[in-house]
Amino acid sequence: MKEIIKITVGLTMTCLIAAAIMGGVFIVTAKAKKHNEYVNFQENMLKLLGFDENKPAPEALQLCTVFRYLVHQDKKTSLGYMLPVQASDATDDITYQLVLVDIQGQFIAKYDLAILLAQATDEKDREKAITAVLTGNNNTIEYADQFIVAKNGDQRLAYLLPGKTPGFKTHINFMMAMDATYSIVGLQILEHQEDPGLGAEIEQEYFKNQFTGKDVERLKTLKVIKEPLPDEQLRFLERTKWINNEFSDDDLATLQKKYQPKDICAITGATISSVAVLNGVKNVATKFVYRVKVLENIISKQNISVAF
Amino acid sequence: MLEDKKSYSNIFLNGIFNDNPIFRLALSMCPAVGISTNMMNGLLMGIAVLFVQICSSLTISLMKNFIHPRIRIPTYTLTIATWVTVTDLVLAAFFPVAYKSLGIFVRLIVVFCFITMRLDVFARKNPVFPSLVDAVGMGFGFMFGMIAIGGVRELMGMGTLLGYDILGFRPLLFFVLPASGFFVVGFMMAIFNYTETIYNQRKRARSTAS
Repeated sequence: MKEIIKITVGLTMTCLIAAAIMGGVFIVTAKAKKHNEYVNFQENMLKLLGFDENKPAPEALQLCTVFRYLVHQDKKTSLGYMLPVQASDATDDITYQLVLVDIQGQFIAKYDLAILLAQATDEKDREKAITAVLTGNNNTIEYADQFIVAKNGDQRLAYLLPGKTPGFKTHINFMMAMDATYSIVGLQILEHQEDPGLGAEIEQEYFKNQFTGKDVERLKTLKVIKEPLPDEQLRFLERTKWINNEFSDDDLATLQKKYQPKDICAITGATISSVAVLNGVKNVATKFVYRVKVLENIISKQNISVAF
Repeated sequence: MLEDKKSYSNIFLNGIFNDNPIFRLALSMCPAVGISTNMMNGLLMGIAVLFVQICSSLTISLMKNFIHPRIRIPTYTLTIATWVTVTDLVLAAFFPVAYKSLGIFVRLIVVFCFITMRLDVFARKNPVFPSLVDAVGMGFGFMFGMIAIGGVRELMGMGTLLGYDILGFRPLLFFVLPASGFFVVGFMMAIFNYTETIYNQRKRARSTAS
C-alpha cells in the first residue's frame, strides 16, 4: 500500500513539474509563433501576387481584407460583410462598413464601424466593433471567412482567397489568387500534415502550377486524372527551378495555352490528397464568385465607396 | 586528475565511435532514413537531439535519488517528452524556417530509443558531470551520423551541399528518395566498421611488435 502511494505521488509530481515547464514555455513562445504565422501569411500573399526579393512589391500595393460574418438577430440569420471603405473625412484612412445581406442576396442595412484597417486583423476588435452597431437583442455573430483584395494604386490586381479542405490526414490550409476575370492566378499550400514524399508533394510547383489559368467555367468540370505528366509539361510547370530563360515568352504563351484545358494530373501515390486540394479549390472558387457578384451588385446600388 | 580527464574523454569518444547511435547501435534509424535527405536537415536534427539528450540526461541524473526504480521508464518518457515539447515550441516560435523542414520529426524525438537507453544505462547510475559528458558525446555521435548520411545523400542526389551547388548536375536522383536511405546507412555502417577493424588490427600489430 505504501509503495502504491509512493509511486502515485511520484508520478503525479513529475507530471505537474513537466506541465509547469511546458506551460511556461508555451506562454513565452505563443506570441512569437502567432507573429510568425502572420508574417508567413503575408509572405504567401505577396508570393501569390508574383512579388519576391528580386521583385519587391510596389509602394502603392494595398491589401484590403473583406470579412464575412453570420449574424443571428432574434430568429433571423443574415450575412454580414465587413467592407473596407474610404473614410468620409478628407483623410486617406480606411475604415470599415458592415453590410447586412439576407440569404437570398437582398440588401438589408449598412452600418459604419469604428475600426481602422490596421486594427481589423485582431478578431476581438472586429467583434467588438460589430456588436457595438447592431441593434436589437439576442444578437450573436459568427466568423465565417475572409477574402483579400489586392490593389496597386487604383488598379485591382487580384482576389486572394484563403481556404481549408479536409486532406488525407488533417485539414489542408491553402490560399489561391484569382484575377478580375475569375481565373486562377496561383495556388499556395499554407499548412498541411500529409505524408512526406507522397501527399506532401502538393507543395511542389509541378502540382500547384497545374491550376494556373483555369477559369470558373473550367473549374466546374475539372477533375483529377491518373496519368503521368508529360516531360514537356513538367519542365514548363517547374520552370522556376531550372535554368532561367529556357522558354521564351512566346513559348510560355503557347505552352500555357496548350495545357490550359487539361485536367489535373494526380500525384503518384497521393490521389486522395490531389483530389482534396482540387475539391477545396473548386469549392472556394465557386462560392466566392457567387458571393462577389452579389456583393458588387449591392455596392453599386448602395453607392458604397469601397476602398478596393 | 589525469585519470579523470582520460575517463571523461573516453566517455565522450564512446558516444561518437564505440557506441555511435546510428552506425554502431543501429538505434533511431527512423530519422536517419527519413530526414537525412540533405545536410542541413541532418545538422538541425542533430542539434535538436543534442539539446534534448543533454537536458534529459541532466534532469534524470539530478533526480535519480527521487525516481522510484519500478516506474523509471514512464519517468524517462515524461522527461524526454517535456524537453521535446519545449524544443518544438521554441523552434516554432524563433526558427520558423528550420521548423518547417523538420516539422513532425521533432515530435518524433520522444520515441528515440537511444535517448531512453542512455538515461537508463548511464544517467541513472552516474553523477551529473559524467552524465553531461556522455549526453554531449551521444548527441554529437548522432549529429555526426546524420550529417554524414545527409551529406552523402544530398551530394549524390542533388549535387549540392548545404544548398550550395558543388557538382553542377544531379548524379542520381534516387539518393534523395526514401529507399536510398537504407542503402546509404548500410554502406556507411560497413565503412565505419571496416575502418575500425583495420585500425584495431594495426594497433594490435603495433603493440605486439613493441
